Amino acid sequence: MSQKPISRRQAALRHAVLILASIVMIYPLLWMVMSSFKPDNLIFSDPMALPEALNWDNYVNGWNALAVSFTTFYRNSFIIAILAVIGNVLACSLTAFAFARLEFRGRKIWFALMMGTLMLPYHVTLVPQYVLFQNLGWVNTFLPLIVPKFMAVDAFFIFLMVQFFRGIPREIDEAAVMDGCGPWRIYWRIMLPLSTPVLATAAIFSFIWTYDDFLGPLIYLNRMQDYTVPLALRAFIDSSGGESLFGQMFAMSTLSLVPVFIVFLAFQKLLIRGVAMGALKR
Amino acid sequence: MTEAVTTKGGQHPLPAAGTLSPFRRALARNAPGYLFLLPWLLGFFLLTLGPAMASLYLSFTRYDLLTPPVWVGLDNYEFAFTRDRRLRNALDVTFTYVLWSVPLKLAVALALAMVLDKSVRGVSFYRATFYLPSLLGASVAIAVLWRQIFGADGLVNTLLLLTIGWQGPSWVTHPNYALTTLIVLAIWQFGSPMIIFLAGLRQIPQDLYEAASMDGAGPWRQFVRITLPLLAPVVFFNLVFQTIEAFKAFTPAYVVSGGQGGPIDSTLFYSLYLYIEAFANLRMGYASALAWILLVIIGFFTAIAFATSKYWVYYEDEGR
Repeated sequence: MSQKPISRRQAALRHAVLILASIVMIYPLLWMVMSSFKPDNLIFSDPMALPEALNWDNYVNGWNALAVSFTTFYRNSFIIAILAVIGNVLACSLTAFAFARLEFRGRKIWFALMMGTLMLPYHVTLVPQYVLFQNLGWVNTFLPLIVPKFMAVDAFFIFLMVQFFRGIPREIDEAAVMDGCGPWRIYWRIMLPLSTPVLATAAIFSFIWTYDDFLGPLIYLNRMQDYTVPLALRAFIDSSGGESLFGQMFAMSTLSLVPVFIVFLAFQKLLIRGVAMGALKR
Repeated sequence: MTEAVTTKGGQHPLPAAGTLSPFRRALARNAPGYLFLLPWLLGFFLLTLGPAMASLYLSFTRYDLLTPPVWVGLDNYEFAFTRDRRLRNALDVTFTYVLWSVPLKLAVALALAMVLDKSVRGVSFYRATFYLPSLLGASVAIAVLWRQIFGADGLVNTLLLLTIGWQGPSWVTHPNYALTTLIVLAIWQFGSPMIIFLAGLRQIPQDLYEAASMDGAGPWRQFVRITLPLLAPVVFFNLVFQTIEAFKAFTPAYVVSGGQGGPIDSTLFYSLYLYIEAFANLRMGYASALAWILLVIIGFFTAIAFATSKYWVYYEDEGR
């Protein structure tokens, strides 16, 4: 990539910098994983040491350390995250299809408004949305965390999909119109199958963002049996307080990162391209 | 006409193609678009525009959720601007956080993107490694981890004791350092702006560097004269986006400080203060005013970035 082939010494230097940076980036995570296998008294007395053996006690005890077991928390988290993914992908792609392919009066204005919502900080709608959901009796249910996704509130995904749909040659859907396809069939049978990369990107990011979301569950879920995994981890800090449960806390924290880590390993390319696309395809 | 009269029940006869009334034609042309847009339109009015207007109204009221809102005029804003010491502190904390974390994060991101752009072997491995913290960073687990790493007997202090023999304080519970640990946490997540920088660097034509190097320009001059100007749109995007994100930060401050913004409000981020006012103190009207003040602050910074961008952002396809 450089202007001239870089010398061997320079290349070695670059790799040294990169390796050092990698260690700084990854070591905190490794430390957490290592600590999760140690008994509590060794975590801080000898923090650099490797665990003596793969001791799963912290995982077993941590799983049931709170009044409700982590089975419930994971079930809650996955129910919310999966429904949010479905809602986001469906609603955002419908919206994006309208903006990218259909002619209707006011399209430009709606599109501008949609882009405007990208800039709106969530704080502005936080209180009235809470009042609304409270009046609907939705507090302490998953609905406030799921239903909005079916109304395409995450404008970022709409934007991403509009960009992608515009890149699909118009000849394809014009041919379909000739064959008598209506907009619905074009959307369902042509656009969606051709758009799997952007749909997958949207699905992956909405999974991770919903799974990690803290503020939403914090506001709407007050009973422990409804807690998501992040809320349960927070409860860990509150309830342990003292010095006795660090190992279990690390074990449950490590475990909570596993789903995101798996998604990362499986879809690295899509994720990285998704991040780059958000910026460059304007 | 006669047909229409004879039809019972107000039903129109099916008109032949081309004789549709203008209204019907408009309907037929616009209906599919609006049908597809329906979920978003519902969300826009019910969950975005409506609540935003309601929030503006509530910001002029006193509202505790249990009794109806009471109109108080500009009292909330007056209190916020003149008497609310805690708000002033929250602004201090948030601005400090934004002004340190965003430039440092972007500097690290750009530096490593440039190193990565030049070295061929193992790029995708390093890129993935650097990106991982950005992806995991938003989770509560990482905030929990950070609390321990910077705790009294945490990893950082152990390393300090081993290397320079100095016993550090408990960083997260010390009012002078707690915010610093959160800034470090933000910098640690430089991965996603780095990926965006990297993608931008890849679009700079290599012959520019070759020509510059022929003319005897050293690496620094190449960086200042070629890389930075051509990368300016990407820098701009990252700057605006990261600034907005930093203003909105909530989870790390909440978890690291145990939900209170402590020690002595030293990590009381704006978002955290707003949350506490709304949901702990049930001052929903005041919290709404805080939300609108934040909107103006974020809007102000975005506007500055956009207004000045024509002086420092160079788009290659500008001449189109």
